[in-house]
Amino acid sequence: MDSSSPSPSSSSSMDRVNFRTQVLTRHLQNNQTPATDLLHTAPCLNYSPPELSEPAASFDTKSLRKLLDGQSIEDIDYIFNLMIQSKLFCPRERGGKVFIAPDFNQSMEQQREMTMRRIDYLREQGAFDGWFSKKGPEGDLWRFALAESVSVYDHSLGIKLGVHFFLWGGAIRFMGTKRHHDKWFKPTETYEVKGCFAMTELGHGSNVRGIETVTRYDASTGEFIINTPCESAQKYWIGGAANHATHTVVFSQLEINGVNQGVHAFIAQIRDGNGNICPNIRIADCGHKIGLNGVDNGRIWFDNLRIPRENLLNSVADVSPDGQYLSAIKDPDQRFAAFLAPLTSGRVTIAASAMNTTKVGLAIAIRYSLSRRAFSIRPNEPEVLLLDYPSHQRRLLPLLAKTYALSFASNYLKMMYVKRTPESIKTVHVVSSALKAVLTWHCMRTLQECREACGGQGLKTENHVGHLKSEYDVQLTFEGDNNVLMQQISKALLAEFLAAKKRNKPIKGLGLEHLNKPAPIIPTHLTSSTLRTTQFQTDIFCIRERDLLHRFVTEVSQYQAQGESKEHTFTVTYQTAEDLGRAFSDRLVLQTYLDVEATIPAGPLKSVLSLMRSMYTTIVLDEDASFLRYGYLSTDNAAVVRKEVLKLCSELRPHALSLVSSFGIPDAFLAPIAFNWVDANAWSSV
Amino acid sequence: MFLLLCFCKLFVTAVEMLTVVHWVKPGRTKSNHIQDIQNSDYPSSCCCDSRLILMAPTNQVLLKESSNVRTIILNRPKQLNALSLEMISRLSEVFHSYEEDPNVKLIIMKGEGRAFCAGGDVAAVVNDINKGSWKLGAFFFSKEFALNYFLATYTKPQVSLLRGIVMGGGAGVSIHGRFRVVTDNTVFAMPETALGLFPDVGASYYLSRLPGFFGEYVGLTGARLDGAEMLACGLATHFVPLEKLSLLEDALCKANSGDPKIISNIINGFSNKNPKLKEKSQYFRLKIIDRCFSRRTVEEIISALEKEADKSADDWILWTIQSLKKASPTSLKISLRSIREGRLQGVGQCLTREYRMVCTVMRGEFSRDFFEGCRALLLDKDKTPKWKPSKLELVGNDMVDRYFAALDDKDWKDLKLPARSSLPSYAISKL
Repeated sequence: MDSSSPSPSSSSSMDRVNFRTQVLTRHLQNNQTPATDLLHTAPCLNYSPPELSEPAASFDTKSLRKLLDGQSIEDIDYIFNLMIQSKLFCPRERGGKVFIAPDFNQSMEQQREMTMRRIDYLREQGAFDGWFSKKGPEGDLWRFALAESVSVYDHSLGIKLGVHFFLWGGAIRFMGTKRHHDKWFKPTETYEVKGCFAMTELGHGSNVRGIETVTRYDASTGEFIINTPCESAQKYWIGGAANHATHTVVFSQLEINGVNQGVHAFIAQIRDGNGNICPNIRIADCGHKIGLNGVDNGRIWFDNLRIPRENLLNSVADVSPDGQYLSAIKDPDQRFAAFLAPLTSGRVTIAASAMNTTKVGLAIAIRYSLSRRAFSIRPNEPEVLLLDYPSHQRRLLPLLAKTYALSFASNYLKMMYVKRTPESIKTVHVVSSALKAVLTWHCMRTLQECREACGGQGLKTENHVGHLKSEYDVQLTFEGDNNVLMQQISKALLAEFLAAKKRNKPIKGLGLEHLNKPAPIIPTHLTSSTLRTTQFQTDIFCIRERDLLHRFVTEVSQYQAQGESKEHTFTVTYQTAEDLGRAFSDRLVLQTYLDVEATIPAGPLKSVLSLMRSMYTTIVLDEDASFLRYGYLSTDNAAVVRKEVLKLCSELRPHALSLVSSFGIPDAFLAPIAFNWVDANAWSSV
Repeated sequence: MFLLLCFCKLFVTAVEMLTVVHWVKPGRTKSNHIQDIQNSDYPSSCCCDSRLILMAPTNQVLLKESSNVRTIILNRPKQLNALSLEMISRLSEVFHSYEEDPNVKLIIMKGEGRAFCAGGDVAAVVNDINKGSWKLGAFFFSKEFALNYFLATYTKPQVSLLRGIVMGGGAGVSIHGRFRVVTDNTVFAMPETALGLFPDVGASYYLSRLPGFFGEYVGLTGARLDGAEMLACGLATHFVPLEKLSLLEDALCKANSGDPKIISNIINGFSNKNPKLKEKSQYFRLKIIDRCFSRRTVEEIISALEKEADKSADDWILWTIQSLKKASPTSLKISLRSIREGRLQGVGQCLTREYRMVCTVMRGEFSRDFFEGCRALLLDKDKTPKWKPSKLELVGNDMVDRYFAALDDKDWKDLKLPARSSLPSYAISKL
């Protein structure tokens, strides 16, 4: 009742009060359901673990995990053990199980401190011992396993660690020489020195060669002077800079005697041992972000900061004490490429981490879809499991098969990287660009689908699938924008093609050898069984790559014949370039998949692998418009493909649980909705 | 599982007076469980001698009934209630029938005499294997582990009154249950590595879930914990002073309830909430334990301990190093891997893996340390087992891998766990 209403004795307001009382009384009485009625209400829903209702795995799940994590299984599981056993990783009991995940409800500052404390804990357990001394492919694989497994817990933890060890440590290792190794390896491993990596600027990201920071040499004191000449030259997004880092690698133009020698890297101290910012350095915070708030991204300005001459990372070029510029590589383009090539490891970890995150999302969404029901098909029948709906299968199962295919590709990239030689650097660069883009896009798309497939539960932070999207969104951008990378692949393929033509020799490398053979012939009428043969799958992926490469070559040469510059030509041919980039990546993924499959003896595991391969190729045929656009598939055949997808989904359905179990992600890293979500949400747990 | 014979010398007290009740025979189960054991999967080569005991009614497990409460008493006091195959079969039968019986709400479990249970009857297993085949040993463990799984996923509350010794197999029939009541004289240990075995009966599940890396410490060194330490680390849920234990039992029978909250309140009424840890308790060493036992390999654990000992050597740290050096190198390596894998697995997966491991141990193809351990500690009692391989560095990863793989034997199968349907979450994980 309005407090300003006239006196309560007025009859109308009294009537209203009486009426209201009656309504309330009725309301309350209606609520008193007779006890007998309770016996007739529908039975409550119970959680039933999918393990009980789903068929037992038809194959050995351990063997499949071995194909994913290979010789790193023990390294990965060891780090999982360390994280699960520490209170710093925020264990929480939900529905009878313990889960670990950062508390994302903490402030940005708190999250950053927790990230650092978790790193300290891992360091105290000796997890990083031998970071710089473990040599060879085993050492590389161990470092990758470490970085990947911490990212399964939290992307911030992975990035914070990655910046310190892979970027700062990697720059010292690969761009530096003995004097830098001797000085910096040990304090870096023990975290006495906390490193960061100042490359990106406000005005320049992917175009590293355009950065504006300038460094000059003062021969009278034997020092370099680093300067931020304008606001767009401020270093931006520098992980670790806002709070913790004591040192940084600075990327800067090097100007010697008025001549710009291009981008070089220097070591500069930015904080003292007590965390105070050094003179001639200004640091500001990048602020709160849509995700990854456990990483302290900062901005740095250099005000004519003086550093010793020895701080130039001089593996490629050096400056003598009297100020002479010395480099074995004369061409600045080549010098720049040689400089950055070793940093490819970043893309390898990004690609691999993207796959782990995808696995987490799929394991959660698929487990949920095997315990959550919705709608009965006939009255009085139990409701239907989400994953028994063909539409739900269509949403999740192709992504599951694709995740296996892309994970094998990620392993291929990893092995290619650890076995790299000077000759293979270019291939590693192209493959890592392609897979970084394709895998991270797949990750984001899968997380979005998983979020939707979990309905409202997908929105809860504790259920991961939704929240991970913002935590991992950055991977589409850092270490090269995905679209830029895709265009670079096409440029590289074009260069290979033209070079082979010029030499009048068959093309070799990057898996392009199929171009030397006559074009394969695609059957006019496709059938279900044709779609599942490796011959057809390989043929159609190859023909698409071959045709798009030819189209790209023609398009580029036409523009150049019209007198357009190379740069302009590439900016206007991007549509074909991107189609070609995808065609190259898809063919590469299929090739690595077939290689993995070939190592498995005939049996149940091989059968499920071949089923997933068919799912992978068929879904690419169904989803990528280029097959219809350029006529590799007729509309009739596209219809056959579409039908086949449904068939493959129903065949893959019984394997869904065993396939996500084979990911080897421990339960503690999944989410309450992946297990007993009824108990996790019970009143008693409030 | 472990039978620590040195404890046999302990004086076994007179049979405790049992107050309430009449002795009962449990109703036959509908599940034909006992028939399973007798007829179906028991190795055909062992139809003789000790197996006949199985048919003969003995009283190694006693049962007490008081309206809706059932008390199970392990009754082999001279052997410190070491679990024989007969007891395991009997317990399985009883627990199955109690779960199906709507008249049963609460199960109390205790041991007759001074011990709760000193472990599985290893001596008998070794004897069987020597007379027949390793498959007799495998059979024993398949039954024991299936029982462990059944208890770990039991839907009705089990209160175990842990007086005296609780070791190996004794822990397997109690720790997986909902309430574990310890008291002044409780002694817990998983001492298998000293015997050439590894912590089994689901220990890779419950040890790996103790705080920090205390589980690795307990499992690798065989350290003994007292009641206060068990409560502190979570192996026990309550500490009730010795003199109040029988009062607690009466109160539970009188309350006649299966509601975990009511049961917990009753036990709390008799509990000492904060039993004092002894001055030199190893639980005060958690920091060092975490620093050392979190290491990747057994070798690294020992070298981390030695570094700590260099800083300040005391009895505890020297004992810890010593016990690792005395244990079977193979046992240490497979135990560490087992606990680490167990941490990432459910209890069913843990028992399945442990079954592979125990069968590999029993078969003795890669190492015969278990038989050597039994010889040195249980039979000849010279206490100087000659381990083979004799050093940690001689036990390669490939060799450790073998213990975790399915056995290459056409008659051998992975452990078959009893099917459990629609379990509430509390039945899946109690620890």
